[in-house]
Amino acid sequence: MENFKLSIINNSWIELAARWILGLTFIYASFHKILSPTDFAKIVYGYALFPHVLINLIAIIIPFLELVAGLALILGFYPRSAAITINILLLAFMAALTINIIRGHEFDCGCFSADQNGNSSSSKMTVLRDIFYFLCGLLIILFEGKRRNGFGRIKHE
Amino acid sequence: MIYGKTIKEIMILVGVSVALALVVNHLSPRGIALVGQWDTAKGVIRPNAPGEDGYRIAEIDRVSDAAKIFYDDDTLFVDARSTEDYESGHIPGAISLPIGQFDEKIESFINQYPPDQPIVTYCSGRTCEDSHHLARLLSDVGFSEVRIFIDGFPGWEAEGYPIGKF
Repeated sequence: MENFKLSIINNSWIELAARWILGLTFIYASFHKILSPTDFAKIVYGYALFPHVLINLIAIIIPFLELVAGLALILGFYPRSAAITINILLLAFMAALTINIIRGHEFDCGCFSADQNGNSSSSKMTVLRDIFYFLCGLLIILFEGKRRNGFGRIKHE
Repeated sequence: MIYGKTIKEIMILVGVSVALALVVNHLSPRGIALVGQWDTAKGVIRPNAPGEDGYRIAEIDRVSDAAKIFYDDDTLFVDARSTEDYESGHIPGAISLPIGQFDEKIESFINQYPPDQPIVTYCSGRTCEDSHHLARLLSDVGFSEVRIFIDGFPGWEAEGYPIGKF
């Protein structure tokens, strides 16, 4: 049984799939935010968690962190470090969402689109979804075998 | 040892991201200033364009001033919010011109009012920029007497002034 678990965790195809899922998700998520930083900055403001001087910097930098880490995951460039970066981001997102759910603060998570549709109906679903992504990240971090490159070839290092 | 390597790699990823973010934000026409205006006590919140410290259009930043204009002048109040918001309550006598329907509605608006018609735009208060966009669009099409009531409908309602409904 233990071996079976290990063989799933250490299956290089599953690890690659996790990298693609997480990578594509983060690249996609960065897209709207990079295209309209004004809207994303307002969403960051809407979380009501950050000092005012930091709001613009957060809005400028986070999307590129998502993009760069996502690309790195898919390309197999520093994959473990990219997954750690993404999991730290996910923990921060989940903390921000949870704090606002608990204090009943209504807001738009701005996760994928920055067009302020006020679609905040499912902050809880968003947290659940983030947990799934976090597990994908964990799988990539804990993987101990030889990783494949983005197109499935085993790397020779 | 392995931790040191990971930390170094993470710093590289973060460094590349920050550098890329700042460069793209600086070069992009959609870029924003490094520090925005997020204090509602100082006015309407906005991230600001680089080098921009405000709009050139005059702002009315006290509800009592807006009320004075409302009672004394022949100023036209223009509501930039959605039709739904307008219908559930607006400043009496205000015209609805939702920012999203500007192109469709502006022609009949121009035909109805002279270019020197005093206008005050408003939306949902200091967390909403639509009244600024509307004011800008109106002055772009030739209206010369445009001002913005930045506390908008919520400020008006909170101070107990009369409300128009459909």
